[in-house]
Amino acid sequence: MWEQVGQALRLSMTKMLSQLAGLLPGIVALLTALVISVMIAWALSAILRRSLARFDFDRRVAHWGFPALAEWSPASSPTLLVTRAIAWIIVFMGFLIGISAFDGALPSQFVVRLFAYLPDLMTAIVVFVAGSIIARFLARSVLIGAVNMNLQYARLLSVGVKWLVTVLAVTIALERLGIGGGIIRLAFGILFGGIVLALALAVGLGSKELVSRSLDRETNKTPSASMKEPVGHL
Amino acid sequence: MELDAIPQPELEQIERIGGADLVIGIIGSERPEQNGSAAVMVREVLAELSKPLRAMVVCNNGTHSPAAVPEVPEDSQSPAVFSCSLPPPAPGETPQHGISNAYRTIFTVGGKLAVRACCVIASRPENATPGWIHRLVQPVLDLGFDLVAPCYTRQKMEGLLNRSVLAPLHGALYGQRLQNPMGPDFGLSGKLLQRILAQYSARRRGPERSLLASIAPAAAFNGFQVCESQLGVRHQSPTDWDNLSSLLSEILGAAFFEMEARAAHWQSIRGSQTLPRFGQPEVPSPENATSVDVHGMLQSFRLGAHNLQDVWGLILPPTSLLELRRLSRLTDDQFRFPDQLWVRIIYDFALGYRLQTISRDHLLRSITPLYLGWIASYALEMQTAGLAEVDSRSGLLSKAYEDNKSYLVSRWRWPDRFNP
Repeated sequence: MWEQVGQALRLSMTKMLSQLAGLLPGIVALLTALVISVMIAWALSAILRRSLARFDFDRRVAHWGFPALAEWSPASSPTLLVTRAIAWIIVFMGFLIGISAFDGALPSQFVVRLFAYLPDLMTAIVVFVAGSIIARFLARSVLIGAVNMNLQYARLLSVGVKWLVTVLAVTIALERLGIGGGIIRLAFGILFGGIVLALALAVGLGSKELVSRSLDRETNKTPSASMKEPVGHL
Repeated sequence: MELDAIPQPELEQIERIGGADLVIGIIGSERPEQNGSAAVMVREVLAELSKPLRAMVVCNNGTHSPAAVPEVPEDSQSPAVFSCSLPPPAPGETPQHGISNAYRTIFTVGGKLAVRACCVIASRPENATPGWIHRLVQPVLDLGFDLVAPCYTRQKMEGLLNRSVLAPLHGALYGQRLQNPMGPDFGLSGKLLQRILAQYSARRRGPERSLLASIAPAAAFNGFQVCESQLGVRHQSPTDWDNLSSLLSEILGAAFFEMEARAAHWQSIRGSQTLPRFGQPEVPSPENATSVDVHGMLQSFRLGAHNLQDVWGLILPPTSLLELRRLSRLTDDQFRFPDQLWVRIIYDFALGYRLQTISRDHLLRSITPLYLGWIASYALEMQTAGLAEVDSRSGLLSKAYEDNKSYLVSRWRWPDRFNP
């Protein structure tokens, strides 16, 4: 009996070791792909960084009308942002190639599904980045406009606009990614509806006098009313 | 070039005339009868000049009446006055943009007629008098000047954007002290007009607003003879405080654009010179001088200093930001905007405009609280000042602009390395 048990153990060990040995080429291929992709990413990003620096990319980006990109970049350098993004994309591609090297149905399916998901991911990233840029631009427009109108709550208005646009962009991006489903849409509807309802209630009911006093005060504070000075600019 | 803006009958008339000595543009005339009175005024002016001339009067009230157009004389050398009208400004057009467009069309008419001189009156129609036209045209036709810039009789609280930025900036950059480098009333020679037209064709892709701002720099850049003419009191529309930031954005945007386009030229100029000034200056009537309440302006400045630090931080160096913070804590009576700080702020905004650190519209509009702060400081300083003190104050500011030009040049050349 002990002989049979020993044989069974030997058989299972051989089976397991042979399965592990079957996986080894895949693992080695994955590691090799990763190492090669890291090396390519490093070399390419170094070349790209030098070329972009010579091209004066950081300044040109601002000239092309994307000054906000610098604020979003590491060390305020769009060159660094671009080179790092490209390096990570290459590493990620190397990882995917390595995963495909496994001779199994599961990894292959994973890669296929991942590639099918990529367009949605890219759309979501574009929506998020565009939303962030628009949010910052609008927030700054509102801030400067409100200060020039002498509104005391200029910063509050500006922050409000920034977050509204950012939340809208995040909602669209999440919906595109299929995360959260209806909950995100519902939450967004509740949030916006809540804000509008709160304002309506404030004006119509409880804070009627407060709001009207505040509006009167702010209207009187606009330069047209407070500054009627006999001053000529030109 | 801008011939599309001229109606067909006027275009045919210009073709028939063929050539003229003088083109006179009167911008902003709202009444149709203005065409007739303008023609009469020009006849008066021509009678005073030494030689018989042929003149074309262009008004922009859009009321062309073919009957008012005289027959073209057989002899092209005989004196005559022709008139035509341009379409009125489009409803959505800002005043500055409207003036710039009308200028362009008048210059085009002048170029087509190969005139010897051109005069444009863009102030309110009541300013267009034979005296004004004569004073703008005569130095060009009789004395050989290429540009006659206007010099108005002003109260101490008038022309503040000119006093604080345009005039001293022009002096420091181009080396010519002009009271009103952006007019808007000018007399030009045919040579300068052709040069500006050629320049405009070359820069067609640039912002259209730059034409009015480019006249005086173009004259300085190309070595044309420039002088000033005393025109007297200029009637102006009441100040539109609601659109102050739009006004600043248009005017300073045009000045900064011109500055960027001519950077290679102004970097080598040091100091400035006074130019010949013709005519007798009028003394402004003291009863028109009014006191100014600066409280609202200071409130705007403090609000800006409190809220716009992030925006200004992208344009101004840390030392200027610190100074502004300190200024915002002063009481109304203590408030004084140092000249050096103001000049450096203007230079830094010009640099920010060039580098596009932030959107140009944001940059130009964010200067409004600073400008109001400067006006408040100036009003407090000049409360009891006489005309001589006001002139001396303007002289000091001009000197500050010239003294700090090396700061501008350093920052312009090495914006990253030179950031005090």
